[in-house]
Amino acid sequence: MAPVHNWQLGREMAYPYAPAYPERQFAFVFNINRCIACQSCTMACKSTWTFSKGQEHMWWANVETKPYGGYPQSWDVKILEQLERANPGGQVWRGSPGNDPQAPYGRFEGQTIFEAVERLPEPGSSRVLGYLPADDEWNSPNIWEDNPVGQRGAPRTYDAEGVSLPTHKTWFFYLARICNHCSYPACLAACPRGAIYKRPEDGIVLIDQEQCRGYRKCVEACPYKKSIYRGNTRTSEKCVACYPRIEGRDPESNGQPLETRCMAACIGQIRMQGLVKMSRDGTWAEDRYNPLYYLVHVAKVALPLYPQFGTEPNGYYIPPRWVPVDYLHQMFGPGVEQALERYARPDRELLAVLQLFRRSNRIIFRYELQEGPKLYETTIAGHPFTVYNDTVIAYGRDGDEIFRTQVDEPLHVRPPQHQNSI
Amino acid sequence: MPYDDPDPSDPSMLVGVTAPGTADSTRAMAAVFADEFARLGHPAHEIFGLFENPHYGGPHAALRALGPLAVLAIVREAVARWPVVRIVDAARKEED
Repeated sequence: MAPVHNWQLGREMAYPYAPAYPERQFAFVFNINRCIACQSCTMACKSTWTFSKGQEHMWWANVETKPYGGYPQSWDVKILEQLERANPGGQVWRGSPGNDPQAPYGRFEGQTIFEAVERLPEPGSSRVLGYLPADDEWNSPNIWEDNPVGQRGAPRTYDAEGVSLPTHKTWFFYLARICNHCSYPACLAACPRGAIYKRPEDGIVLIDQEQCRGYRKCVEACPYKKSIYRGNTRTSEKCVACYPRIEGRDPESNGQPLETRCMAACIGQIRMQGLVKMSRDGTWAEDRYNPLYYLVHVAKVALPLYPQFGTEPNGYYIPPRWVPVDYLHQMFGPGVEQALERYARPDRELLAVLQLFRRSNRIIFRYELQEGPKLYETTIAGHPFTVYNDTVIAYGRDGDEIFRTQVDEPLHVRPPQHQNSI
Repeated sequence: MPYDDPDPSDPSMLVGVTAPGTADSTRAMAAVFADEFARLGHPAHEIFGLFENPHYGGPHAALRALGPLAVLAIVREAVARWPVVRIVDAARKEED
């Protein structure tokens, strides 16, 4: 084990390999407040990468209904339970979110999946704390998530007295997920054959299909369960971050980096993906006008998914503002309260940057703001709030303008003869 | 299909379990409902009507939990937050 600095945890942690960081890192921000679980991302990925025989159970991109759902079923509950068993009562954060780039969320005092495996009463051969999901946990994504399941003892039957069923007093949200292309990938750490590698140019994590022998150590280790075994090739496969698009080799791209298929297909405009500059110490290099850098490190509205696992995931989420904070705190760490506050009452720049989502399929490397006229004044939760019609301009890798858009977006009404046309 | 039906005694199987919510989360949820429809240009009385309608289970549950006065305040605030909704109708001229 080598000591590495995990900035999301605000401390050093043990990892099987010495630190090595890419020049740029594949990263993304999903705005959960906008997700309607239409599964367009899921199907875009499926129809591009996992449509072949032996991949039927495989969904590199999926959307699950939280808190009930999961693909594979209960993946996060199970790994959280394992960590709690290994370190009872100790999975806590200290300090508070601040401006230290080495510890922006405070300090995690608990055990990561790399550290907790050492504390098991009966150490096994695994380098990472994890579990291997059973076949039936993979086979039916979204099963029972949005469906009434009937009375106990009589599943999949309609309740004759349905009208008298109690009203649900609950909340839920949709969690869209892909591989997080972690900075400290658990899959890579666990592979006994060294078949998994992280690309130095963009940080994308790939499984070398020539080297893989299907031991499934990566499937067991990945806490997000995004490495999946394929029976007919006897190898494991995972999200490849649509790397031909990232490299600008897609025929549509004209040599310019394109966002992945799941991002491009997002009709809810919840997704933005990019390539962030990395420092030599593994933190994000300051890049003030990169929209991902802005959302994660300046506005601090986007937070990593289960940072306590310790893999330093590169997927960030704007938390849903209607969900109890305790639950969000467990899922996204201590920055939740501030993120919710800032998202509910966005400042002028944040409101403009939120317009950048899904105006183009090209990766945005920089944005620029042009101030516009005041539209109106109002109040949010008793605080004065002013909306300006600012213009935000997106630039690509080579510094050329990709598009420009404004804060004020009209609602377009379809003409009657095209109400149902696509 | 999964091979087994959900096992209610399995602590990892959350199907059919009521997740705990709070008055704050109900209020936040109600605000989100109101916001969504205010942004579509609906006036306050139409949005409040949605909360009154028992067929819209979520908003109606919020109305029963919070009371009509609290919901009315939430609706009014949402409408005030989005006072200008610009609608472009290709079949007609642009209108506010």
